This record gives sequence, structure tokens and C-alpha cells, in this order.
Amino acid sequence: MTEEKLFTMVGIRPESATPEKKVSRRKGFPWVSVVLMTAIVLCCLAAELLMTKDPGYLDLENFNVAPNGEFLFGTDTLGRDIFSGIWYGGRISITIGFFATVIATFIAVVYGSVSGIAPAWLDNLMMRFAEIFLSVPGLLLVLFLQAILGQANVLTLSIVIGVTGWASIAKIIRTEVRQIRSSEYVVASRCMGGRFFHVLGKHLAPNFVSCVMFMVVMNVRTAIVTESTLSFMGMGLPLEIISWGSMLSLAEKALLTDSWWIIIIPGTFLVTLLMCITNVGNYMRKAANRKGSNL
Amino acid sequence: MRRNPALYYGKKALVFLLSVFVLSVAVFYISRLAPGDPLMSYYGERTEKMSVEEKEAAREKLGLNDPIYIQYIRWVENAAKGEFGISFKYKQDVMEVIGSRIGFTLILGGIGFVLTFAGALLLGVLCAWHEDKWVDKILCKGGTLLSCIPEFWLSLALILIFAVTLRWLPSSGAYDIGYKDDWLNRVTHLILPLTIVVLQHLWYYAYMVRNKLLEETRADYVLLGKSKGLSKKDIMLKHCLRNVLPSYISMMAISVPHVVGGTYIVETVFSYPGIGALSYESARYHDYNLLMVLCMMTGVLVIFCNLIGGIINERIDPRIKANEVVQISEVTVD
Repeated sequence: MTEEKLFTMVGIRPESATPEKKVSRRKGFPWVSVVLMTAIVLCCLAAELLMTKDPGYLDLENFNVAPNGEFLFGTDTLGRDIFSGIWYGGRISITIGFFATVIATFIAVVYGSVSGIAPAWLDNLMMRFAEIFLSVPGLLLVLFLQAILGQANVLTLSIVIGVTGWASIAKIIRTEVRQIRSSEYVVASRCMGGRFFHVLGKHLAPNFVSCVMFMVVMNVRTAIVTESTLSFMGMGLPLEIISWGSMLSLAEKALLTDSWWIIIIPGTFLVTLLMCITNVGNYMRKAANRKGSNL
Repeated sequence: MRRNPALYYGKKALVFLLSVFVLSVAVFYISRLAPGDPLMSYYGERTEKMSVEEKEAAREKLGLNDPIYIQYIRWVENAAKGEFGISFKYKQDVMEVIGSRIGFTLILGGIGFVLTFAGALLLGVLCAWHEDKWVDKILCKGGTLLSCIPEFWLSLALILIFAVTLRWLPSSGAYDIGYKDDWLNRVTHLILPLTIVVLQHLWYYAYMVRNKLLEETRADYVLLGKSKGLSKKDIMLKHCLRNVLPSYISMMAISVPHVVGGTYIVETVFSYPGIGALSYESARYHDYNLLMVLCMMTGVLVIFCNLIGGIINERIDPRIKANEVVQISEVTVD
């Protein structure tokens, strides 16, 4: 680089040199992920139409069969058809992800708003508690809770995953609420006798929705991962309730018999769905205009 | 701000003790209120054949009949003397059970910790250096994919490839029977679990380093450095990275429990005899004494590391309040 060139370049930022182009709002929209995700979810919802076999039927003559014309994805060590199980089980995995997130978000919204509105000492106390909660490894907490509750079903599992996953969302909500709680419209609403939930729904929530959307989407992902991990370790859903996690809990037997399809196929669906969710979440987080680098 | 160091550290110590106390009470109550019969883990199958009177006597003997707070006080008294009771399942002193296994976890978690943070720093700098070039883009895509793969499934896939299909590496245990003192044998058993531990955390921290570095490169001092004729390397490594390092170090402190203590899935999948697999077992089989000590160990580690992270941060950058440090663990992938 010549001396002259260096001299002219320093201090000129790319965005000031060229007039800003209007960026389409759709730019960077994760089309592939959204389409794939919708497809998987729709297929799971329409599981009955797609299933070629009864997913719970133990076909003792055809167990551990590699993928072929009749059993598209093969059968597992108990003789259940994996192709049917994928759609049928996906429904449960997604349901748990959804419910757990709803529970977590609800707790987070209430907790975060209360903490944001509360006087300083209570706010401090509540945030300390949330921080302690956050710093305990999440899965360990779920493991213990579920171990204590005993045999899991879809409901208890959603609740356990939900009540352990609210803290990070609550912290963000609290920060947002703290910033807007003394704005005139909130004060006005409260002076006119607006109750907590009224203020929350009418004035606070619309302001923090955009900030927490990313976290909420990621929470779905975490919940699905947690469900599958728990079920895999034998502490989540039992074998009879088919989900992607409980299908994978047969993996150890599958390893002994070298049946890769039992592990790879449900896992691929799981990872694909998680990847799509992540892409959608990241799209929501993306900062609109990032400054150019000075380097 | 630290006009009186004694007061400052005294306050920290008080917070620490208080947290530990609350934690112990919580764990104690929750584990004991839970349904499930601890007699099962002590006597196993025999429990079903026992008469009501025998069960009652057994409960009395194990001290399970008293109100919970009395049990708790008794536990604290014994713990103060260094006696944590016996493990119901292993019929051994709790400390012995843990002592025989903790080394394995420390090796796995410790090496994993070092590799993770060294690798993450390297990757982060590499990405920031090539911002928006293909290297960065590929690494980011790959990293996102990696962070989407559940830990247990990655373990299974690696076992399937390297242990079952290729037969290069063993799939379970910490050493083969009869090879206890053969370190080469131990190393081969460590490779797969270690890979999982590192891969599981690597991208989260690398991405953080990348983003923080990119933020730094937008600061005005970079322009100054450039106009004085410093090279990109000098600015990036001597100035930007130096500004990122403090928060990275306090981050490392906070992450100790996540990385070192977060090996329970890996240990279970690989049947690795560490305390991760042990805590999972103890929760599952209601092994109270063992569960209690393991929970307390994790909890104390968490609280302690958070405190250290806070102190490091306040020392390096007094503007930061300790509680802001924890925010970085918000989007933890686990």
C-alpha cells in the first residue's frame, strides 16, 4: 500500500463514502429453514396420513431391519417402524418444546415485570436469585427435578423443562421494564387505576416483545434438546411414549448390533429441526445496521 | 472502591456462606420430600420381601423417620466433623466413593477446559481477522451447526464412526481391564469423551470472542493506531485482543462448573467412571447422602467461581458491577 493511499483511506468509513442503499426487509430471511421447519412440523401434525405402519406395534419378525422398501427407515431393536415413529414421535418432541417454552415465557414475563417494577431491594433480591438459578448447569437441574418426580409424561416433562428455563428471559424483560416503567404512559395508566396485568399486557409487553423473541425461539430449541437428552438417558419419556429422544434411547443396543439407522435417522431429523429453529432465531436477533470495521 | 480490603472480602465471604447455607437447605428438603423409597437403594430387591416392621426398623436405623429439619441438623453436625454418611447404594463412605472417581472427571474436565478456551480464543481471532470472508463464513456456519447437535447424539455418532465402524478407538470406560497403569491405554479411552467436551463448548466461546473483537475494531483507537501506521496484526493482537481478554478471563472463571462439572452426559454415554455419571445415578436411585454431597460440591463450585469471576472483573475494570458478569451465561447452549 502506498503512502498516499494510506493517507486517503484513514478516517473514511465505508458507510459515509457511499450513500446508504435501502436494504430490503426480506434480505437474509432464512427461507430454507422456514420451509424445512414448516414441512417437518406439518408432517408431524399429519402423522396419521403419512404413517405406513402402527408406530407402537412390536413386529417381532422384523426387528432391527435395515431401511428397505417396506420399512423406509428400517425398524428398531423392538421391531417398531422408524419411518412412522419419526412423524408420530416428532409430534411429541415438538409439543414438549412448545409447552415448555410457553411455561418458561409466562414465568419469565411475570417474574421479569414484577422485578422491573418492584422497589430496588426486591429487584436486587429477585435478580440475585435469577442469577444463582442461571449459574447452575441447566440440564443437571432438570435431571434432579425429573429424578425426584419419578416417571415422566409429556405434561410433567414440559413443566420441569419450563420451570428451569425462565431465568435468562426474565433478566432481559426486567431490564426493558426498568427502562420504560417511569414513562408517562405507564404512570398515567397506573394513576387511572390500571392493574398490574393490565399495565403489563397493554403497555409493557408490546415494548419488550421484540427483545425477547430471539430468546423465546432459542428456548424452544433448548427444550427439545433437553427432552431428547432426558429421554435418551432413560429419565424422560418411557419407551412406550414415542418421541425422538425415546427412539434414541435404544441407541446402546443399536451400537452393539451395528444398526446405524436407529441412531442416525431420528438424530438427523432432530438436528435439522434444531438448525432451522436456530436460523430463524438468529434472523430475529440480527442488528439492523452494523457499523463498518475501522480495520 | 476497596477502601477496606478486610470489609470487602468479608462481605464476599458472607455472601458465599449464606448462599451455601440456602443451597444446602434447598437440596436437603427437595431430595427428601420427593417420592421414591431410599430403602430401595440401600437394600435393593430385598426391600420388597421385608415386612412392615422390618422396614420400620430399617428406617429407624438409617434415621429416616425423624422430621426433616432434625435430619438436616444431624447432617450438618456430622458434616462439620467431616462425616458425610455412607452411600446407600455403594455401602461405602460417601467421600470414598467420590474420591475414587473424582480424578477421572478432573482429568476429563480439566483438559477439556484448557483445550476449549485455547481453541475458542484461536478460532475467535481467526474469524474476526477474516471478518465476512469465506473463512469466517464457513466457521460460523459450521459452529452454528455444531451448537445445534445435542451432546448425547454427537457422542453416539462418534462412537458409531470411530469405535464401531472403524474400530480405532474404544467406546467406553477409562481403561481396559488389566491396563490400569498403562497411560497410553488411558489416553485412547480419553480421546472420544474429550472431543465431545471440547466440541460442546467450543463454538459458544469462540463466537463470543469473535463478536467482542469485532466490536473492538469499530472503536476510534483503531483509527488512531492505523493513522500512526500500525499494522493490522499489531492493532488486532496488541490492542483489540488486549481489551477483550479481561472479560474472557472472568468468563473462564465462571465457566469452570459448566465445562468441568458439565460432563455428566458424556460420562454416562461413555460409561466413564467419573462423578458426573455418579451424580446422575445418585439422583436416580435416591442415594441421599451421595446426592447431597455431589450437589453441594457442584453448588459450591458454581457460587465460588461466580465470586471469583466477579472479583477478577471488578479488579480489571471497576466500572463493571459483579452482577453484570453473569449475563454472559445467558444464552448457554446446554
